[in-house]
Amino acid sequence: MRQLVIGTVFLAAACGGSQSPPGPQATPATTAAQPPPAVQLGGPPSNAGTLTADSGEIQPADPAKFHKEPGYSPYAGRRYPERPYFGDEHVHTAWSVDAGGSGATLGPEEATRFARGEEVTSTSGQPVRLGQPLDWVAITDHSDMMGMITEIKGGNPEMMADATLKRWRDMFNGGPVEAKKAVMELVAAQANRKLPPAATDPKFAKSVWAKTTTIAEKYNEPGRFTAFIAYEWTSNAGGGDNLHRNIIYRDNKDKADQVLPYTTFQSENPEDLWKWMTEWEKTTGGKLLAIPHNGNLSNGRMFALTTFSGDPMTKAWADARQRWEPLFEAIQMKGQSESHPSLSPTDDFAAYELWDRGNLTQTPKKPGMIAGEYAREALKNGLKVEQDLGTNPFKFGMAGGTDTHNGLVAAEEDNFFAKFPSAEPRADRWDEDAMNFGPNRIVKGWEMTAAGYTAVWSTGNTRAELWDAMMRRETYATSGPRMIVRFFGGYDFTPADATRTPAVAGYAKGVPMGSDLPAAPTGKAPTFLVAALKDRFSGNLDRIQIIKGWLGKDGKPQETIYDVVWGDKDRRTFVNGKLTPVGNTVDIASATFTNTIGDPELITVWKDPDFDPSVRAVYYARVLEIPTPRWTAYDAAYFKIKITDSKVPMTTQERAFTSPIWYSPK
Amino acid sequence: MRIRKFLGEPMLHFLLIGLALFGAYRWRSPGDSGGRRIVISQGVINDLVTQHVAARGREPSAGELNHLIESYVHDEVLYREGVKLGLDRDDIVVKRRVRQKIEMIAEEDASTRAPTDADLSAYFETNRARFVQAAVLTFDQVFIGESTSGLGVVHAAAVTREALRKGANAEELGKPTLLPHRMTRTPADLVTRDFGASFAAALEKVAVGDWVGPIDSSFGAHYVRVSDRTPAVAPQLAAVRDQVVREWENERRQRARNDAYTKMRAEYQVRIETSLPMERR
Repeated sequence: MRQLVIGTVFLAAACGGSQSPPGPQATPATTAAQPPPAVQLGGPPSNAGTLTADSGEIQPADPAKFHKEPGYSPYAGRRYPERPYFGDEHVHTAWSVDAGGSGATLGPEEATRFARGEEVTSTSGQPVRLGQPLDWVAITDHSDMMGMITEIKGGNPEMMADATLKRWRDMFNGGPVEAKKAVMELVAAQANRKLPPAATDPKFAKSVWAKTTTIAEKYNEPGRFTAFIAYEWTSNAGGGDNLHRNIIYRDNKDKADQVLPYTTFQSENPEDLWKWMTEWEKTTGGKLLAIPHNGNLSNGRMFALTTFSGDPMTKAWADARQRWEPLFEAIQMKGQSESHPSLSPTDDFAAYELWDRGNLTQTPKKPGMIAGEYAREALKNGLKVEQDLGTNPFKFGMAGGTDTHNGLVAAEEDNFFAKFPSAEPRADRWDEDAMNFGPNRIVKGWEMTAAGYTAVWSTGNTRAELWDAMMRRETYATSGPRMIVRFFGGYDFTPADATRTPAVAGYAKGVPMGSDLPAAPTGKAPTFLVAALKDRFSGNLDRIQIIKGWLGKDGKPQETIYDVVWGDKDRRTFVNGKLTPVGNTVDIASATFTNTIGDPELITVWKDPDFDPSVRAVYYARVLEIPTPRWTAYDAAYFKIKITDSKVPMTTQERAFTSPIWYSPK
Repeated sequence: MRIRKFLGEPMLHFLLIGLALFGAYRWRSPGDSGGRRIVISQGVINDLVTQHVAARGREPSAGELNHLIESYVHDEVLYREGVKLGLDRDDIVVKRRVRQKIEMIAEEDASTRAPTDADLSAYFETNRARFVQAAVLTFDQVFIGESTSGLGVVHAAAVTREALRKGANAEELGKPTLLPHRMTRTPADLVTRDFGASFAAALEKVAVGDWVGPIDSSFGAHYVRVSDRTPAVAPQLAAVRDQVVREWENERRQRARNDAYTKMRAEYQVRIETSLPMERR
C-alpha cells in the first residue's frame, strides 16, 4: 500500500501535476508533437520579399527626421524623444495557466493597476505598491487560453430575440436564487454544446481574450499611461527549450479582437508564429512585433545558427526574424541573457545574475549550447550571417521585463515580490527551491533576479508612439533602476557635444541607439555620444562601457570592451589596462549604501580607436551603477535572518544595456 | 535487504500503479456505452468552426474540419478516461482553473448591470479625494549642480540668475543634464516622477512667469520658470466620469468575487485535524 502511494505521487509529478507547478513549463508542450495540417497562416516563406518592403513603412517616426530644424524658437520643430518611458513588456497574471496553477490570484486588472502605481494586496496577503509607477505595461498572459463563458449582454436587442437568452437575462435580474440557477443552466448548456446560436455568435462571444483586451482598453490613457494589448506565445521546444515570445500589439481592441492569439497548440515553431503575424497584419491592417526572452534557458536554441528544424538559415528566414523580432529581452527574474563569462572571458561584469545550468526545466546544458543563448554573442554572429546571406537575423535591440507570475511588476531590490506567490517576501524564500525538477536540476530562491524594465525613447506615451520606438529599437534594458541613458553614433561628434543637451547634437549629427551608421567618410572613424543619469532613488554611476563586436578578417566574431567614462575621475586609474574598481559603500547588515562614490551623471564622446572601415561592427553601451544592496540583503535585514551561504550575493551592480548601433562597410 | 531494494525499484512502482489504475478503471467503467458515446452534433461542429474562425480569421477547409473533429475526439476520449480515473481531482492546475472559472462567472454575473447615475454619484462623493486632478505645469529649468549648499553652487546660482536676468538662452546655462529642460502641460505627479516630490510641490507655489531658485530636486539645485500653471482641482463628476465608472466597476467586481466565495464557504464545514505550526514573521 505504501508503495502504491509513492507510485501515485511519482506519477503525478511526472505528469506535471506536482503541488507546486514549477515555472512556465506547465504549458502543454507535448500537444504540438502532432503537427497541424499542412495549411498554415501566411503561406510559404515566399512572402519574405514583401516583408522587407514593408519594413520601410513600419517606422513612421524615422529618427532621421528628429533633427532640430533651425529657427528662432529653440523648441519649434523639435520632434525627437525627450524622455524615456519605463515599462514592463512581460507580465503574467492569474490568467496564465502556470501562474493561476501556482496560486496567483491577481488577474490582469489588478496587475495593470499595480503597474500604474496603485496599492494592491498580493496573493500571499501582503499589501504592496511600486516605489515609482511605470509609464506603460504589457500584460502577456500565455496564449494557451481557457475557453470561457459567453456573456449575456444586458438587454442587447439582437440577443434578446432569442427566448432562452431572454429568459436567462430575466433570471439574472430576478434575485440571487434565480441568478444562480441561470448560471447553472448557462454553464450546463455550454458544456453540452446546447447554447442558443446567438450566444456563440463571435459577435457576442466574450472570450478571455476579449476580457483581456477590455481591461487594457480601460486602463490605457494616452499621454499618461499605456496599457498595451499583448500575449505570450510559449514555445517550449523539446520540452523546455525556452523559445518564448511576447507579442505586442500597436493597435486597439477593435483590431486585436478580430483574431485570437496564436497558441503553441498550433505550432511551436517560431517561423509559424511569424507567418501568423504576417497573416494577422493582412487580415486586420494592424501591426505586431515579437520579443523573445530567456535565451539563457533555451539550451542553445534561441540564437542557434540554424532554423527551428535544424536546417541552414536562408535569407528569407533571416529577413523574417529581423522583421518580426526587433527586440530581445536581455534581463528578467530568471537571469540575464546579455553576456556570459565563458563567451566573454575579458568581461569583468559578465558573471552577473547567471542562470546557466540548464533550460527551463533545468535539463543540463551540453558544451557549446551557451554560444547560442546570449545577446552579445548573437549580435556578433549576426554580423557573420549578414556577410554570408545578406541579412542579419539578429539585428535586435534590448528590452527588459520581469516575467512575474504573480501579477506584480515589483522588480525593485527593496520591494521584490518575486516570480511566484510562493516566493513573495518570507524569511525562508532565499533558501527554498525556486524550481525543482529533480536532483541537480534545482534553482534556489536566492538565484531569482530582481529585474527588469524596458526604457523606450518615444516621442510620447501612447501605444503607437511606444510601439514605433520599439520597432526602430530605440530602447534599452535595465536591471530595475530608472536610469536615463542616451547613446548616439556618428562621424562628427566632438567633446563639445558632451557639454550641452546631448539629444540636440545627438540627433542632428548622428543616429540613436538601434540604428545603422551611414557609410564611413574617407579617413573617419565612428564617434559616439553617450550619457547616463542615475535613478534618483538608486546608486550613483560607476562607469559607462562601450562594447564593440566585429567580424575578424578570418570571419570570426570578436569583441572588445572599452571603459569610456567613469565616476570619481580624479581618484581612479588604469592598472594593467583595467580601470580600478569604484569601491563599495554597502553595509550588508543594515542593507544600506551611500552615494559618496561614483557620479550621478556621466557623459562623454568616444571615438573608436580600432576602427577598420572594411569590417562589420556592432556597438552598444553598458552603464554600471556602484554596488548597492541586493534583494537578499534587504530580506536578511527585514526578516532579521543570517544568510550564511557564501554563494548568495548580497550586493549587486545594477546596470543598463542599450540597443546597438551597427556599422556595415559599403 | 534484497526485498527492500526490490520494493524501492521505480519499475515496481509503475507496475503497481498500473495495476491499481487498471483495477480502478474496470471498477469505474462498467462497460456501458453511456460514457463512451461521443456525438458530433451540429452544435459541436458549429463550435469548432467558430473557434477556428476566431483563431485564424476564416472558415476551416474540409481537411481542417476533419482534423478538428479528430482532435476533438482525441481530447474527449482521453479526458473522459482521465476523469473516470479521478486524475482531475489531485491536479492543482485543473483545480485552480475551475476555481478561476467560477470566480469569473461570479464577476460576470455582477457586471451585467451598468452603474446608474445614483451609483456613480454616491461612489464619487465617498471617494472624492481619489479623483482630485493634479496641477498641470509648463516650465523650463536650468540645472545648477548636485549639492545646494556648496560654495560652487551658490556662485553658479548667482551667475545663472544674472545671465537669465539678461535674457540668455536657458538651455545654454548651467550644467549639462539629461533631465528635460522644458516640460509642457505636464501633470504634477509626472513632474514628481522625473524630479521628485519636493520639486513638484515647489513648482505649484512659485510665481508664474519669473525665473526663481535655487529649487531642490532629487538631483540637485535648479533655476525654474513656470510659464503656465493650472492648479489642482477637485472636479465635478462629469469631468471624471470614465474614471469613476472604472473604479466603481473594479470595486464591484472584487466584491462580487469575494461575496460569492464567502457564501459558498459558509456552506462548508472545515475541520483541521492537526495543530498548525506558528508562522515566522
